[in-house]
Amino acid sequence: MKDPYQVLGVPSTATDEEVKKAYRNLARKYHPDNYHDNPLADLAQERMKEINEAYEAIQSQRKNGSYQTGSHQTGGYSGYGYGNSTAGYGYGASGFQRVRVAIAQRDLNLAEELLNASTDHNAEWNFLKGVICFQRGWLDEAKRYYETAVQMDPDNREYQQALDVAEGRQTAYRPDGYGSMATGECASANCLRICSILMCCSMCSGGGGYMCCC
Amino acid sequence: MFGYVRPAQEKLTEEDRQRFQAVYCGLCHTLKRRYGQLSRFILNYDLVMLAMLLSGGAVCDCDAKRCAVHPLKKRPCMGCSDALDTAADYSVILTWWQLRDGVTDHGFWGSLKYRLLSRLLRRAYQKAKKRQPMFDHRTAEHLQELAQLEQEQCLSIDRPADTFARLLAGAADSVENSVHRRVLQQMLYHLGRWIYLADAADDLKKDLKSGNYNPLALRYEHTDGVLTEESRRALARTMDQSIRMMAAAFELADFGVWTNIIRSTVYQGLYVVGTAVLDGTFRRRPKKDNPTRKAGA
Repeated sequence: MKDPYQVLGVPSTATDEEVKKAYRNLARKYHPDNYHDNPLADLAQERMKEINEAYEAIQSQRKNGSYQTGSHQTGGYSGYGYGNSTAGYGYGASGFQRVRVAIAQRDLNLAEELLNASTDHNAEWNFLKGVICFQRGWLDEAKRYYETAVQMDPDNREYQQALDVAEGRQTAYRPDGYGSMATGECASANCLRICSILMCCSMCSGGGGYMCCC
Repeated sequence: MFGYVRPAQEKLTEEDRQRFQAVYCGLCHTLKRRYGQLSRFILNYDLVMLAMLLSGGAVCDCDAKRCAVHPLKKRPCMGCSDALDTAADYSVILTWWQLRDGVTDHGFWGSLKYRLLSRLLRRAYQKAKKRQPMFDHRTAEHLQELAQLEQEQCLSIDRPADTFARLLAGAADSVENSVHRRVLQQMLYHLGRWIYLADAADDLKKDLKSGNYNPLALRYEHTDGVLTEESRRALARTMDQSIRMMAAAFELADFGVWTNIIRSTVYQGLYVVGTAVLDGTFRRRPKKDNPTRKAGA
């Protein structure tokens, strides 16, 4: 097993407070919400597991060793988990169980084949079509399928959540020092600064045969 | 490629800046070494990002070098590496096909510029093709698929973007570590998608004038090549979603010395450039209207 301090990125002399802070930051970064329907969700899940284990290891080490401070809460964040990998696709009476299994196994081609064979284009069909598009990176089409699914079944939380993610309405992780950002909402004065800072590399020219802006 | 991908300068340390410059100059020198002085004109920031992503984050050895553009002062310059060599090969191939595309897209006079430049690049391209036959094949294929979608007047923005995105993602196919490969493929896919959309937005006006295919014109409402406020927000949202996908992937691998530079790009730089592209201020010196283009269009 890796050194738990290394996993959390703190020295072994870190205070309980520092350990907790590092853990919280990492838990925020790899939180399932940031990897909702993401094709790399399994990697984030592994990372999350590693972090949880490291945090628990440090806590029990400190509890049993001389380093004890006495005031820790066990697993304050153990609620951050991914559950089992098919959880998101498993529950509920689904007419498309095999499609959900194929998606969970990252076999998008099979999932799409199964969907295309169905003639009943109900809300769930549209939702699953959206999931496949989303995982492939076809984000605009994913959004449109999700919209249709929500329209057909406005009370379904699963569909609504998928649409919220596709629309960027969930707050995504941002590293320390980076405020929230969205295209169209930052001052373009910044852009000019970017261009001028790289004047040193003034040889740049665009591939299409135009000189770029610096 | 097109030069849209830039780090956010104010988030970089002095050391990061020097590193960024070293890889920029390193790529430029690599182009010269492998393809001759003339090939250097194709260098741009997107290719520098590609070189960083492919390099695996090892500490680079840097020499100080002079060059024609900086004759007086020696500048830090990244030495030879496989990543720089590969990035240089890919750059030549991508630029060549982009130029060929320009030739077929324009009439006799309009294509003059493209024919001239591709004449200059021909020998370099032939060398690059021998070194990277797979990538060359895939690039040609990508353009064929794109031509097909153009012919169909495809209404989707995802499908044409997908052809370019897959092409870039393919640059990571040879990475051995499977986790790193998946992370890079995902980052490059969405980088490609974002670049394609940014470029389409940048060219919208021009394409409408010349009658060239532009998927944004079919997907979104616009008046004379200017997207309506609502369309612009919708496009921004889907571009931002790609940036978030890149950032989420970025957090899952170790990028060594490039970490800070890439972080500033995926959490800030791309948003800033995207904003400038969408509000039309990206090119500080707009392209002069080329009188020959009208004749050629």
